[in-house]
Amino acid sequence: MADSRASHAAVRILPADVRLTVLPGESVVDAVRRHGYRTRYSCRRGGCGTCKADLVDGEVRYRFPVAGSVLSDAERAAGKCLPCRAEPVGDIVIRLSGQDRLRRLFGSIDPASGRAG
Amino acid sequence: MGVIRLGYVHVRVTDLEGSAEHYRNTLGMDQVTEEGGRLYLKSWDEHDHHSVVLEGGGVGLVKLGYKVATSADLDEFEQRATAFGAEVARMTKGDNVGVGDGLRITLPSDHVLELYSDVEYLGNATGTWNPDPWPREGLRGIGVPRLDHTLVTTEDPVLLERFFAEVLGFRTAERLVAGPDNDQLVGSWMFCGEQPHDIAFVKGAQGKLHHFAYHVDDWSSLLRAGDVFSMRDVPIDFGPARHGITRGETIYFFDPSGNRNEVFAGGYRTGPDFRTITWTMEKAAQGINYTHRELDPDFLNVVT
Repeated sequence: MADSRASHAAVRILPADVRLTVLPGESVVDAVRRHGYRTRYSCRRGGCGTCKADLVDGEVRYRFPVAGSVLSDAERAAGKCLPCRAEPVGDIVIRLSGQDRLRRLFGSIDPASGRAG
Repeated sequence: MGVIRLGYVHVRVTDLEGSAEHYRNTLGMDQVTEEGGRLYLKSWDEHDHHSVVLEGGGVGLVKLGYKVATSADLDEFEQRATAFGAEVARMTKGDNVGVGDGLRITLPSDHVLELYSDVEYLGNATGTWNPDPWPREGLRGIGVPRLDHTLVTTEDPVLLERFFAEVLGFRTAERLVAGPDNDQLVGSWMFCGEQPHDIAFVKGAQGKLHHFAYHVDDWSSLLRAGDVFSMRDVPIDFGPARHGITRGETIYFFDPSGNRNEVFAGGYRTGPDFRTITWTMEKAAQGINYTHRELDPDFLNVVT
């Protein structure tokens, strides 16, 4: 889908090394979904921790509170984030957990160009 | 005599405002009152004061309330729970808005279970004289009629099943078993009336909530609930699908704080003469999702 709206941030997702724009007020997972990709997540509301990833570079904010039982202060300090609720402040880089990978939703069709392959 | 039904579920939510919106407008519950930072809600076809309590701060279960028939039952259950070795305390009228004296039991699974018989009667939305089949002024969102059951996790399903059977008189509708001799209990679905289950539990962390469920009329209502979820971007876990276990029909979804909810239709009828059904691990995916026979490993792991 063409992204005609102004974006204020981007997320680079490792290890796939794919860069996606993120709209104001949009979470990383919502951006991933809008761009035609999927990552591992479950509740999409910050309650389960399934999407937990490393924030390698940059800063995120949480518009909705996240329970300490899901993402503790120690984990935040150690650079963990919850992509389903995290909104990038400027450009960020995240690394998905070892159990996770960035997948194209439409198979061989490239979600950005619509071309196959 | 005995436990009648799941009366209320009291949960923590990180986002109280968003959660109020979800339970009121997506599910269609009515807010009865707000007191001390807690929201008390009820569904249109429920008669007692409330069935869901939302409390700000964190996620997961604060406690479950099951209604019993008489106050004499409370004495009996207090005795039996104490003899079982559970931690039992008396709760007093007003501990929960609208709810009278009762018992507060810490289950072997670390969940808090409250039993009560006295609760303020508000009546349902259609009354008891020549009632309409549903409120003629209409419903919001799905318009869930009532709470149905809950599923929690425990390290020791055998002990918890024994507690519900020996102390509270529940019976087992279905069991999920593992091991070469199929004698390792993984999950149990138990009833106190004639539903397929009023409480269920599977092996997992102590004190956690897997989901609580609302009843809906039928498959068609379930599909319409799915439409409402899509319109309102409510995250779906799985469904609509048929359960092998309970034979019910389901959609699992999440509230705005990540607590799992379910809308549940159908299911068979049980009773005191019901014979327990057994599922083995080789058919467990079919037991949980009969339609797809697939299960995301996160389905059983994700709890709040």
